[in-house]
Amino acid sequence: MKANKIRLIVTILVIAVAFLGLVIPKADSADYNGIFKLFSNIKLGLDIQGGSLFEYGLDVGENIKEQDVIDNVILVLRRRLDAAGYNEATVSKIDSGGHLRVRVEIPGISDTARAEELLGSRGRLYFAEVLEDTISDIKPELRRVGTIIVNNRELPREEYVRDLDDPNKWYKVKPYFDFGPTPFEITGADVIDARANINTDGRGFLINLNFSNEGSGKFSRATGNLVNKRIAIILDDAVIIAPSVRDQITQGRAQIDGINDIQEARNIAALIKAGNLPVDLVKFQERSLGPTLGFDIVQTIIRAGLIGLAIVMVLMIIIYGWMGVVADIALAYNAFLLMGVLSWSGAILTLPGIAGIILTFGTTVDGNVIIYERIKEELRGGKPPLTAVKIGFGKAFSTLFDANLTTIIAGVVLYYFSTGAVRGFAITLIIGVIGSMFTNLVVSRTILGSSSHFINPNKFIKNIVASKGVK
Amino acid sequence: MFDFVGKRKIFMIMSSVLVLISVILLFTVGFEFGIDFSGGSEMVFSIDKEIGTDEIRSILTDINTSYATSKIVQLAPITGQENAGVYSVTINEAFTENEKTEFEQAFRANFKEMNFTREAFDEVSGSAAQEIKSYAWYAVIIALILLLVYISLRFKLTFGVGALVALAHDVIIVMGFYALFNVEINVAAVAAFLTLVGYSLNDTIVIYDRIRENMKLMKGVSIEDIVNKSLNETFFRSMITSITTFIVVFLILLIGGRALAPFAFGLTVGVVVGTYSSLYIASPVVINWLKKTNRAHF
Repeated sequence: MKANKIRLIVTILVIAVAFLGLVIPKADSADYNGIFKLFSNIKLGLDIQGGSLFEYGLDVGENIKEQDVIDNVILVLRRRLDAAGYNEATVSKIDSGGHLRVRVEIPGISDTARAEELLGSRGRLYFAEVLEDTISDIKPELRRVGTIIVNNRELPREEYVRDLDDPNKWYKVKPYFDFGPTPFEITGADVIDARANINTDGRGFLINLNFSNEGSGKFSRATGNLVNKRIAIILDDAVIIAPSVRDQITQGRAQIDGINDIQEARNIAALIKAGNLPVDLVKFQERSLGPTLGFDIVQTIIRAGLIGLAIVMVLMIIIYGWMGVVADIALAYNAFLLMGVLSWSGAILTLPGIAGIILTFGTTVDGNVIIYERIKEELRGGKPPLTAVKIGFGKAFSTLFDANLTTIIAGVVLYYFSTGAVRGFAITLIIGVIGSMFTNLVVSRTILGSSSHFINPNKFIKNIVASKGVK
Repeated sequence: MFDFVGKRKIFMIMSSVLVLISVILLFTVGFEFGIDFSGGSEMVFSIDKEIGTDEIRSILTDINTSYATSKIVQLAPITGQENAGVYSVTINEAFTENEKTEFEQAFRANFKEMNFTREAFDEVSGSAAQEIKSYAWYAVIIALILLLVYISLRFKLTFGVGALVALAHDVIIVMGFYALFNVEINVAAVAAFLTLVGYSLNDTIVIYDRIRENMKLMKGVSIEDIVNKSLNETFFRSMITSITTFIVVFLILLIGGRALAPFAFGLTVGVVVGTYSSLYIASPVVINWLKKTNRAHF
């Protein structure tokens, strides 16, 4: 009986830990209603709670390696999302057979036109000489627009660009600099860092810009020739800021001062730093789901699962009597265990994941049936219940082990080769099958070992006589 | 005792015919691939009332004549809005950003009075579909190889091959059913196939385990009798497990709606086929093999 005591302690400890995982509020616990209260500590996939997933490939040419730009791409997207207020969005790197992609997940938001605009556009940050500024409610027309080839790109010699904050303010700018042997551009690629700071020498706030080696040379030439003139910093066809040049800047470090508000300084710094993506992004896939449809589907499947579960539970009691009750307890135990593991591990529960949980019920029932059939055989052989239970569990072990391990192998392969929602299925399947083995071999055994006197051997012996009578 | 083994020839012929029909169906009717595998865009939207799909088709044709043959499906209404119409529209190509905006705007404008809501939008590029497809093949093939190795190690190569024959039988027939009933093949359907693989093997292994045990206990008894006795001993368990699993997956298929149908359909059919193959294919197949090999090796 000593072994059974140890099993009892393990049984209680495991379920207590699982239960704690479900009820202790976590920092990121969600606030769900109704049936979803139980899931508050479990991370739900976007296919349940609603939200959007975008995945982009990198359109790198022959000269750029994906590995070299991916971190920069992630940084830029992250900043753009933060700046636009998508605070819950996550940006992550996906490695698929040597190809790198970037994935953006935005929970809770399914109207994503704006998000997509932010993500999909490459963005172009560049510096330009301000020729003049005017106030106009429509875009002023340029008299004659010639073009010039700079760095293999065709640029207009002059253009009108609107102010980012004031839609009526237009800057006439020259988007390139021609100081030196060949005309050149200064773009986001030349800027290493932009930071907002307090102006310690005067009033207000300032932005510190750091240029790359190449950038500082170009910036030095530009500022040297434009003292007392203005240089506009333009992102996606809007002027972020257009400061005047006081002196030539040679060290690769510039300051923009005279900003009144720290928040404004931060925003401008973020925009400059986020700058342009180093490569174009190609949409790989998108999955967007509104909140109502997701929850509706989940409610339906949970309802189906619960009805099925109830039928199975009743069936087990009818067939196996007390042992059926134990099987039902095992079912509930494994379900709690599974949710506890999901909660502790932070694994994401998806719609196919819920289907996986429901399938786990099948595995648990199956394990019990395999064991019970063995016990029945022993009872029919005239063994007393307690001995029958012991022998039954012993004989069923290798069967259960082989049968479940094959399911786990299939689950692991599926996990490895899938992403997103289907991976959620592999997760619950693997956890559930391991859990069902534990539940069957330890929990059911503990209960049956100490309650074998409830088993009525005559029920099964009579059955066999009856079925012989039919033949 | 019921005689499973004696009639094995009849069932093998029956299964061969079923497999043959399925293969023919796969090549003639073919699969209804979801956008996971074909690439494309799918939008689900709801409006105040139900309308005919013709009306939706005319909107599609107005946007772009090449959209005229798109797939339009009316879905089950959302709980609490039973009068509303929920529709899914699938376009066979991935959009550019402008096309996407134009597409949605056209629907918004047409159903302005009917409270148009975009419920879901999925888009899979051609390269994504290609990758998903190749990964699905890898997953199925690697899973099968690993399982063959495992069963051969734990039992014997004969059993490994027997289990794989039964598996191939199950998967091909279930695929035939997908083609016959025009059920969409998507990533969830592949998950169903892999679950089916696990499930069918589970069933087969429980029986093999019993055969292995009985072969040790019953020296001098013919293999037919050993296999038949093992099948009878495990029959009740097979039935209970299959029936309980069937109840659950069938309920999901019935009330789970279209979102879960590709998954639940495969499992519902698979449970039936898998149970049948464990009894009539997996075990009888090994009989002839075992007869030839020396039993002392076991």
